Amino acid sequence: MSSGVIHDIGYQRYSGPRLGRAYATRALYSHGLRTAFGLGRSAKAKIFPWLVVGIVALIAIIATAVRALGGGFLGYFGFVDVAAFLAVLFCAVVGPELVSRDLRSGVLPLYFSRPLTRSDYALAKWAALVSAVWLVFAGPQLIMFLGGAFSGGTFGDFMDELGQFGQGLAYAAIVALLFASIGVLVGSLSGRRAVAAAIIAAFFLLSQAVAGILLGLGYGVDEAALRRASLLFSPQTLVQGVQAWVFDRQLDQFGPEFTVGSFGPLYAATWLVFTAVSVLLLLLRYKKVAR
Amino acid sequence: MNLTIASITLRGLFGRRRFLLLLPLPALLVGLAWLSSALGARPSDWAGPVVVGLGLAVVLPVMTLIIGTGVLGSEIDDGTIVHILAKPLHRREIILAKLAVAWIVSWIVCGVPLAATGLIAGSGRLALGLFAGAGVGALAYSALFLVLSLLTRRPVLIGLIYIVLWEGVLGNVLSGTRALSVQQYVTTVADRVSDTPLLNGSVSLPVSLAMAAAFALGGTILAIDRLRSFSVAGETS
Amino acid sequence: MSLNLRGVSKWYGNVVAVNDISMELGPGVTGLLGPNGAGKTTVLHMMAGFLPPSRGTVLLDDTPTWRNPAVYAHLGLVSEREAVHGFLTAWEFVYASAKLQKLKDPAGAAKRALELVEMTDAKDRRIETYSKGMRQRTRVAAALVHDPRVLLLDEPFNGMDPRQRLHMMDLLHRMGTEGRTVLFSSHILEEVEQVSGTVQVIVAGRLAASGDYRTIRRLMTHRPHVFTIRSSDDRRLAVALMGQDSVSGVEVDLKLGLTVRASDYGTFTRTLPKLALGEGIRVERLLPTDESLESVFSYLVSA
Repeated sequence: MSSGVIHDIGYQRYSGPRLGRAYATRALYSHGLRTAFGLGRSAKAKIFPWLVVGIVALIAIIATAVRALGGGFLGYFGFVDVAAFLAVLFCAVVGPELVSRDLRSGVLPLYFSRPLTRSDYALAKWAALVSAVWLVFAGPQLIMFLGGAFSGGTFGDFMDELGQFGQGLAYAAIVALLFASIGVLVGSLSGRRAVAAAIIAAFFLLSQAVAGILLGLGYGVDEAALRRASLLFSPQTLVQGVQAWVFDRQLDQFGPEFTVGSFGPLYAATWLVFTAVSVLLLLLRYKKVAR
Repeated sequence: MNLTIASITLRGLFGRRRFLLLLPLPALLVGLAWLSSALGARPSDWAGPVVVGLGLAVVLPVMTLIIGTGVLGSEIDDGTIVHILAKPLHRREIILAKLAVAWIVSWIVCGVPLAATGLIAGSGRLALGLFAGAGVGALAYSALFLVLSLLTRRPVLIGLIYIVLWEGVLGNVLSGTRALSVQQYVTTVADRVSDTPLLNGSVSLPVSLAMAAAFALGGTILAIDRLRSFSVAGETS
Repeated sequence: MSLNLRGVSKWYGNVVAVNDISMELGPGVTGLLGPNGAGKTTVLHMMAGFLPPSRGTVLLDDTPTWRNPAVYAHLGLVSEREAVHGFLTAWEFVYASAKLQKLKDPAGAAKRALELVEMTDAKDRRIETYSKGMRQRTRVAAALVHDPRVLLLDEPFNGMDPRQRLHMMDLLHRMGTEGRTVLFSSHILEEVEQVSGTVQVIVAGRLAASGDYRTIRRLMTHRPHVFTIRSSDDRRLAVALMGQDSVSGVEVDLKLGLTVRASDYGTFTRTLPKLALGEGIRVERLLPTDESLESVFSYLVSA
């Protein structure tokens, strides 16, 4: 019993092609996207995302119907603003769903011992939520486009409609980028989905209340700069400020003569910084987290 | 009311990270009040959105939610509740100790900033009214969120749905549900105590107090019963 | 004090976790043995009053353990889950347990309990800084602080190094000889073997065997007993044994000696001396090779 021997049971080393880092990242991204909509999971996991999609689609359908009946058009931008509340809920629930579970069950070492780097993991999850939120808007916007573009009119009308649709999609992307970045960042801080969801929802709610107060204050003391600055205080109002500047739109919801004035570039810069910082913090979080 | 349990619960609350996350909330409340007054706005302009819209509708419920679910929910979640339960204590003692901690901590953490905003709005009476209202609200909310920790595995989520949908959206839209909203009781109590035009309670005082007591008592009794039947299965994390 | 389970079953929907188990545990150490998923933790939790049985009764000296906090004055539980209040020090935790047990001298009891588990040096550090074994010992101290008559431990040796294990085994042994009812669960056979001779074997929710494990082994007569024999003339002895009805197999190894499979233990043990005497062979060594709990267990599980 002194010597040892390794038996040949037909084990062979894998010598085929290995798909590598890019494939792994893409796979994680598409898995994240599918998870966001509950695809490939039980029926219970599909309830929430498809409920949200359903409600948003309903808004789009109603807007299209009202337009067809001549009652005025909500617009691609107005639609996104109205549906923003649902996008917040979506981020609050799906963001933690994507990242908190991995933290809680301690599978991160498994991910990180693959060709995938920590940043790849974080960015794949981030991209998945951004795409998911964008799709929640884009799908119904497509419905609105199809409803409006082919209802007669000239080719010029059609091109106008297409242009509007395109802008609407771009605005939806702006919203998705900001909201999803916050959602994934907060989700990555806690292993408990309910707590992370609560914090995200509370943050959006609270910031909206604060922005509202500052706006009211701006009217109370009749200070235009304060009114304009109030938009900076919540993600929902910030993107509307960006909308006004980039797409040259009127923001009547903030008051009859509300203009963004010189604050326009500030909104865009704040949006950019907010999003970038969220992503950087996300990357930092995943660089440091052990399991 | 068991002091040992109360002290463990208290230490547990202050040791957890998520509690620290919420300290900025009261600061925000006071900060906005101060800002409004510094900019010269009249209290009648900003008291509504700041005191009611932010303070009573958001800060009070959210803080009591985190604290109320934290006193019991976190122990259930990580399994340390077994150590408390494996003792020859009446379950009533355990619940009352935790309720007391949740109530007092919430009352101070929310009541003091609310009173401060009342002072900034210019009236000591308003500060007193808000402090009293915070006490009533803290008790009712704490009992509610404590029992939620025992009824569901996601008390934070259910509590949020209650706050946002029931008290928030429905409360503003359907006047009938106002009698079932703790926020309304708080507003009424603060209104009557401070006798100010800035607050407007839509539910009468007797009803408010009775309903708040019902919330508190009902929640406590249900929680005691649920804790007596608390079961720990196998290893399901 | 005795723990009595009568016809206890526990099911979750269609899944039966514990199936009609009856046992009576008296003073002394009993090992609850079984593979993972057999239902040991479920049984322990029912005994500790943390789970209601779907059917049957769980009694501690005639009082049910479910919805009865008073039993905890006599019962100590060390659960498998590592959870403990991390922000407390060991001293604070055990002291608080003593106070919650309404002891007359909580500080003294806590000190004694910590000494018992050898945690006195580290008692003022927060539990979250402890190793797994230290946490385990702290929890045992908290379970012992009120001098319980009944002690239930779920996989108590998990995460302990050999020295701590020996210490814990010694502790449990002492508790047993003091007249306490100690029940500990394990799927590691050496632990149960070394601490207690009495076992309750649970397999797939059913009680497969109970009592002294050697007796259990002997009861399984349809499995042959295996003996190793060294004698002055192995080969001749082997030939003689092969002719016996009570022997079902013989193996000769020039280095190890004879390995004999006896299908009838009783008859074989009577026949062997007579045979050896008749043949003029001196038997130098006779050892049962498979009486360890291992073989009992594996026979039970694969049966």
